[in-house]
Parts: sequence; C-alpha cells; structure tokens
Amino acid sequence: MSEVVLLVRDKEVVIPGQPLAKGKIRPGKDVYVDESGTIRSKKLGLVSLKEDEISIVPLVGAYIPKEDDLVIGIVSKVSGNTILVDIRSPYQGALPIQRRAERVDLRKYDLRVGDVILAKVRSFDGASSLILTIDAEGLGKLESGYLLEVDPAKVPRVIGKRQSMLSILKEATRSEIIVANNGRIWVKPPSVKELIALEKALKKIEEESHVSGLSDRISSLLSQELR
Amino acid sequence: MFDQEILTHNLMKDYIRDLVEKGQRVDGRGLYEYRPIEVINGTFTKAEGEAWLKLGETQVLVGVKADLGEPFPDTPDKGVFVSNAELLPVASPTFEPGPPDEGAIELARVVDRAIRSVDAIDLGSLVIVPGKLVYMIFLDMYVLDYDGNLEDSLTLASLIALGRSEIPEVELKENGEIEVKESKRKLELKDIPINFSFVKIGSKILLDPTVEEESVSDASITVAINKDGKVCSVQKRHGTFSVEEILNIVNVAKGKWPELASIVREAI
Amino acid sequence: MPLYVERKPERLITEEGMRTDGRLPHEMRPIKMMVGVLEKADGSAFVEWGGNRILAAVFGPREVHPKHMVLPDRALIRARYNMAPFSTPERRRPGPDRRSIELSKVIREALKPAIFAENYPGSVIDIFIEVLRSDAGTRVAGINAASLALASAGVAMRGLVSACSIGRVGNFIVVDPNHDEDMWGDSDMPLAMMMESEEITLLQADGTLSEEEFKEALDLGRRAIRFVYEVQKEALKRPYYLVERRVV
Repeated sequence: MSEVVLLVRDKEVVIPGQPLAKGKIRPGKDVYVDESGTIRSKKLGLVSLKEDEISIVPLVGAYIPKEDDLVIGIVSKVSGNTILVDIRSPYQGALPIQRRAERVDLRKYDLRVGDVILAKVRSFDGASSLILTIDAEGLGKLESGYLLEVDPAKVPRVIGKRQSMLSILKEATRSEIIVANNGRIWVKPPSVKELIALEKALKKIEEESHVSGLSDRISSLLSQELR
Repeated sequence: MFDQEILTHNLMKDYIRDLVEKGQRVDGRGLYEYRPIEVINGTFTKAEGEAWLKLGETQVLVGVKADLGEPFPDTPDKGVFVSNAELLPVASPTFEPGPPDEGAIELARVVDRAIRSVDAIDLGSLVIVPGKLVYMIFLDMYVLDYDGNLEDSLTLASLIALGRSEIPEVELKENGEIEVKESKRKLELKDIPINFSFVKIGSKILLDPTVEEESVSDASITVAINKDGKVCSVQKRHGTFSVEEILNIVNVAKGKWPELASIVREAI
Repeated sequence: MPLYVERKPERLITEEGMRTDGRLPHEMRPIKMMVGVLEKADGSAFVEWGGNRILAAVFGPREVHPKHMVLPDRALIRARYNMAPFSTPERRRPGPDRRSIELSKVIREALKPAIFAENYPGSVIDIFIEVLRSDAGTRVAGINAASLALASAGVAMRGLVSACSIGRVGNFIVVDPNHDEDMWGDSDMPLAMMMESEEITLLQADGTLSEEEFKEALDLGRRAIRFVYEVQKEALKRPYYLVERRVV
C-alpha cells in the first residue's frame, strides 16, 4: 500500500503552486505544504525526486548568498574601514578591512571602485548583513580577463558533475575560467573568438540545462565555433 | 539618465579597450558594423503608424498618433509635430519610473531634429485652416530593452512608423463643423534622415555601440545623414573629438546610409 | 479636438445573446501569451488578449532604493500600471493619471498574496505593466502577464494569479467584456484568483448586480479563470519543451 501519491515525475518542469505529492514524503527545497497537506512547488523549476524527499531545482532566480560561497564582486564604494561590493544579489556585500586576518597583506585591500574581486561569503544573516572575505590565498582582485554572466540557478550546470562541463569549456576554448556561485564567470580567453564561443556555450547551457546530453551538445558547439 | 558607472567594472574597461586598440570588438563585429536589425511583424498599438524594432538586443516601439488642434503661434502655416521619448523601467534595471529625465529628453530632441532639419514630414501639408486648425502629429518613442544605441534604433523605428502612418482625412464644413471622413491619407516621408551613433574608445571610433561600449567610451556623437548625403543634424555628447575624427565619422555615416535606408524603405 | 468619435452600437447584445463582436456570453476572446520577451528584465511576459497588447516585466528581488523603504522581514512589493500614449484611439498624455495609480495599487494587492515575500527580507520586487494597446480588460490581462513575469524571474510564489473580467449586459452575464460592453454595459467586474487555492486576490465591480447576478458572475469568473490559468501554465512551460523537441 502506497502512502505517497506522486503527482509529477522526476525532472519534470513545474510551475509555482503546482501540486507535487501528498503523503509520507519529506518536503525538500523550494516547496511548501498547503493546508490540505499537499506539497507544492514554490518556483518554476525541475522536480528532484529522491527516495524520501521531493525538492525543486529552480530554473531561474536571484542569487541569495550562502556561507562559504565563492562570489565575484564589483567594488561599488570605498569609505573608511569598509569596502562595499556589488555581488549581483538583492544583498550588498561588505568587506570590512579591520576584520581581516592578521597575516594578510594590507595591500590586498587596496581596492578602487570598479575593481573586480574574487571573494568568499564569510557570513550572511539572511536579511541585511552580508560579510565577505578575500583573506585566503587565491582570493582578491582579478587583474585581467573579462566577466560573463549566467543565471545563478544555472551555475551547477555550468560546472557540471565533478567539474565535467567546466573542463569541457576550459579545454575547448583554452581559457582560464572561474565560475562563482553568484552567476558571474571570470574568463581569460586567448582571443575574442574564444570569448564569443564561450558566450554562445553559456547561453546554450542556460537554455538547455533541463535536457540531458548537454555535455555532448556543448562539445559539439564549441568545436564548430572554434574550427 | 542613469548611472553608467554602475554598469561598468575595470575588467570590462581594460578588456574592451585592449581589444578595440587591435580593431576588434567583444561581439566580433567590425568597428563600423551594425548589429542585426529586425522589424517585428504585428500590430502592437493603436497608433496611426507603428514600428517595433530590434537593434541587436536593444528593442524600441514607436507609435505615431494624429490629432487636430491649433498651430503654434509663430508657425500658423505648419502642422504641429511633437516628439517624446520614454526610457521605460522595463528596459533596464537602471531606469526608474517617472517623467523623462535629461537623457530621455535629449534622445527625443535628437531624433526630432533629424526629421525636422530636412522636413522629412511636410508640415505645410498638414494645415487645414491656416492659423486655426492643423493636424498635430505625435511621435511617441518607447524604449523597451536597453542594450545601447537608442538614438539610431529610435530614429529608424520613427521613420518606419511615420512612413507607415495613415491619418483620417478631414473636411471643414461651411457651418464651421469638422467632419472626420472614412478615407485616410498617408503621411509621406519626404526624406530618410538617419542617425548614426559613434563612440570613441582610446584612439578608435566605433559605430553602433552596445551598452558596455557606451559605458567605457571616452566620447560619443550622433550624426544624421539624409538621402542626398548631407549632414542634417549633429549631437556630440560626452568627451572630445578632433576635427579629423568628425570628418571621418561623417564619411563613414554617409557610406552606411544606403544600407539602413533600404531597411526603412522595406519596412514601410 | 478628437479625430475619433465613439459611437454607441445600436444593440449591445441580441435576445439570443449574440454580442457586438459575434461572441456568445460564455465565449472568451483569443488569448496568446509568451514569456522571455525582454533581455534586461529578470522576468518578462507579453499577452495578446483580443485587441490588448500588454507587456509585463519584473526586476527582483533586488536592492531597495531609497533605503528607507526597506522592510526588514520581507520583500517590498511594488507595481506600476502604465498606459502608452499610443495605446488608445485618442493619444494619452504620458504619465500616471488617477486611474493608473488606482490600478497600480489593486494590481499590487492582487499579486502580493501569491508571493513568498518573507523569502527575501530587505529587498524589493518591482513589477511593471505596460499597456501598449488597450481593448478592455487591461488590468486583468496585466495581472496575468505580471504573474508570468514573476514566475519566469524565479520569484518564489504560492501559485500563479489568474484574472478575467465578467460583465453584465442587460440580462446576460458575459465573460471577458469587449470595449463596447466595457463602455456601455451595465456592470463590469474584474476578478483575479490564485487558481490552486481558489482564493480571490482582486475583486472590483461597478454598475449594478443583483445578488443572483453577482453569484452567477463569480461562478462564471471562476470558470473563465481556470481557462486562463491553463494558458499561463502552457506559456511558462513552452520554452522548455520547445527546447526538448529541438534538441531530440
């Protein structure tokens, strides 16, 4: 006897409010339970059905910061002890100079408005206080290259399982690429030809992320563009 | 208009500059190449003539409306022609709702100037009773999606909308009453004055800038060329240009006129 | 001085219920919806409904400006309904008039219950509705477009908000009043609901309706909205299965 009624299939595209399941199954991410006990989707997304849990993987959406996320930010204001950073989110990031670890070179914090930085989310209280850090090795100002953007919801697809998609992108275009959780992607392509190929590939990933076999299609697109 | 600084960052500035010095652009275009221009089919307004036009990812919608009214006191023998542009908040995260700011007003006036300088619309033919009753033509320009170069896209869309416009004919009866007839007359375009917008980045001049190119540019200018290859209106915005650069710009614009004029003609 | 004079039609509806545009009382005008028409907006939708052409765009959740308007525990929801100067036979002066301001408010109140604003404290969600061509029922068409724009922007919602107007012409309760019925009919009732929960989020009425007529109108409205909901659902999912078909 089934104690769960499933109203959708795994990986199905659903809309906000669409009923997903009833009964003994745990509500996961981006779903809610209505008065009658039916689990419904909160967003436009794909159903992710696990044995005992049903979640939605959003297809689109703003970046909401999480601790330890890697973000690419643009310095928007430098005043006194704080550097304010735009991370393409409803929440603005702060880089408090005093809070840096002792051994960190102060020169790392010599930033100007318009500088692009690779940072990590140190803490976020969910509503107003977003603290970033650039202390760790490898974090800090990005000196050259270009920035591309994808919808933050698509970042996992751009990286791929075990970085498989990211490897394809890097190898085919012979570019350095850093994908940040906030949907910004730093790239350093050998020439503009590779940059354009990357842009096309990213657009394709955004449009086709819900259809399997994407890696092959991206490989094929890139080899065509870079022939 | 909007804080262009918000849109830029130093990587963009450096990368675009370096590329441009080599004569290249981020989207692979040539320095004097337009993005794809598309006129969308369909009826989207209640205008007498309309055009929904795409220039790359910039999208504009222009509608021409006619009304009857009094002429301006200083031009009793001419119809009234009024241009208005709105940077809709839907077009960009940086556009705020509200009355047109200096950017929107300048845009409308630049488009208007190109059309007026060559009398592309024969305002004299819009008079019904000199000094008393004339047609009033309203050119309303809506920016729907902002990816740079609103001047050129709005001008093209405006010319198409004007060329497509049909206004109801009117008869002044003996008793002073105005009868609006069923028949319509075309608002003919007597010329095709096209605006060409350029920016300067470093030492290079680029045609049809994207929003990023506009934001990293050192200077910007728009020139209008008409069917006789004449310069009919010019608007320099920020920055400086040398005389040589301006002459080169005019030359490039003249060369591009046939390509864009044919797009306008085909759409009408 | 207008170049357009409206003339009231001789009969708004025949004894058999045939309306000025040939529809029967329970027939709706043709509707087409699509999402993703604008690049810069976070979410956008375009609705063609009868002669209406309505564009909706959503930005957000995003940072609030001016800062003093921030709500610490949830997103601020703002909506703006605006009619283009070329949307009506006689040109409208640009800018909000009293009607637009009222509609902006009721539209905001129609959409707000559907949004999980508490998911986005300290931010703002901006909704813009642009009426490019007006043909009766712009506010309900706008609400439908805005729901699509919100969903396609990835905003967390309880469900879509779907809307339709119901009118009364003489003894007939009619669905989706056309321009003539809107101008000269006996009552107009715009209605919006969250389809999944059947909660009403917009309800306005003018003219007069007996209790019976009101009940009939609400019932007809609910059925019409069910239909509109299916159109919205299809519009949201379409880009994804179009890609599926193209790729396979």
